[in-house]
Amino acid sequence: MLEARLKDRVGTLELEVSLKLPARSYTVMLGPSGAGKSHTLKLLAGLRRPRLAEIKLEGREISHLPPEQRSIVYLPQKNTLFPHLDVKGNVLFPFRARRLETPQDFVEEVAETLHISHLWERGVKHLSGGEAQRVALARAICARPKVLLLDEPLSSLDFHLKCELVEFLKLLPSRFGLSVLHVTHDPWEASFLAENLLLLEEGKIIFEGPFAAFLKDAPGVLGRRFRSFFRRFFAQEEAFR
Amino acid sequence: MRPFLTLTLFLATLAFFLVLYPLVAIFLDLTGEKIWLTLKDVEVWQSLRVSFAAATCAALLGAVLGVPVSYLLARGHLPRREIFESLLNIPIVIPHVAVGILLLNVLNHNAFLGRLFAPLGIHFVDTFWGLVAAMCFVSFSYVVSAALMGFSAVSEDLELAARTLGASPWYVFRKVTGPLIFPYLMRGFILAVARGVSEMGAILILAYYPKTASILLYERFENYGLSQVEAITALIVCVSLFLFAILTYFTRRAGEHA
Repeated sequence: MLEARLKDRVGTLELEVSLKLPARSYTVMLGPSGAGKSHTLKLLAGLRRPRLAEIKLEGREISHLPPEQRSIVYLPQKNTLFPHLDVKGNVLFPFRARRLETPQDFVEEVAETLHISHLWERGVKHLSGGEAQRVALARAICARPKVLLLDEPLSSLDFHLKCELVEFLKLLPSRFGLSVLHVTHDPWEASFLAENLLLLEEGKIIFEGPFAAFLKDAPGVLGRRFRSFFRRFFAQEEAFR
Repeated sequence: MRPFLTLTLFLATLAFFLVLYPLVAIFLDLTGEKIWLTLKDVEVWQSLRVSFAAATCAALLGAVLGVPVSYLLARGHLPRREIFESLLNIPIVIPHVAVGILLLNVLNHNAFLGRLFAPLGIHFVDTFWGLVAAMCFVSFSYVVSAALMGFSAVSEDLELAARTLGASPWYVFRKVTGPLIFPYLMRGFILAVARGVSEMGAILILAYYPKTASILLYERFENYGLSQVEAITALIVCVSLFLFAILTYFTRRAGEHA
């Protein structure tokens, strides 16, 4: 379980966020561009110094710890892989950075789960968008985090690859025992992935709860807009049955 | 379209001609005897050694000081970053004889910096260290600019992601940022060495001795005239082009692997 209370200023935006990520859960933070989603992730990972941060991971205060000691991995939206390393070098990076011996069984399990075993020796410049994201996920999992922060991981993929990667993302909490916080402005992603949903508007969380509750009771103009999208989306899904 | 293309081609050809013709022309008047005498001239080889040794030391010193400065500028989120960048480019805009006078003013035996380094056995007036100081001052901006370009080309997100994967800032620099900016650094280093080798104005004031290739050329030209320095000039051009071709080749290769 991760509990956080964050306050910061980003340009003209006053960010004030309180959130909870249950253990082994998939939470989607939905919000328009400029709402402070990516900044929130960076604050949680310790990559920016906020005005106020209270972050508890499994009951332990971690806001004073540097990023490498937080057990929180951040996957940026773009430039996810180290371009000078091959797939193997990228995936094993967390072990080498911590000078740990590579647990072969675990690495093989991760590689098989994410279907990247056949890419092992390949340079990252020769990967497709979907392959690159799967390698980035494998690398993140190899850091054995308790929380994985994904910054719009599907935004650069076409529809076909999005559908493929969504299946891998769904697996993460149960298979590797971590909590995922997935930031996006795309309600389609939220509809497929969110067990819990956070709605962020102008630096404030205006809804926090299970996805089902959001469908019934999404607050504000932004909430109504998303709800209207989901109503039409699911209505069309009904039509296919 | 055609007149535009013709004019562009003409101007491009003219540009190449202006750069290459003087380089080629110096070889046209050479005789075998002149070349042989120059190749046997110990002072010429000595001056080339001094030039490249001092310029390399200056570029290395520039890199040691310039990389942290560039890192701060690129990643420090400094307010008014452009002011700091402009300050670092000052050596480029000051006339080089003036640079020599500025440096002589602070590095002579009685000046603060001169006295500070004296107990370490480092003196600047008419010494090798004077050459290094003068060359470093005039070439420093090249290293900083190249490193800054490198840091700007490497996404900060890569470094941030690496930190959360368990890497310390130093490990991130060694294994992520460093390899990615290396080709840029090498480019800056080559430019800095080239700038150092070609420096004369500041050296003339601060450290006439040991003689660099530029100083030797100037001195021989003053004493014996144009016909006596053609072979030396041709040799210096050849050695410079050869060394820079090698360095550029290895930089390219490093860039391809990065």
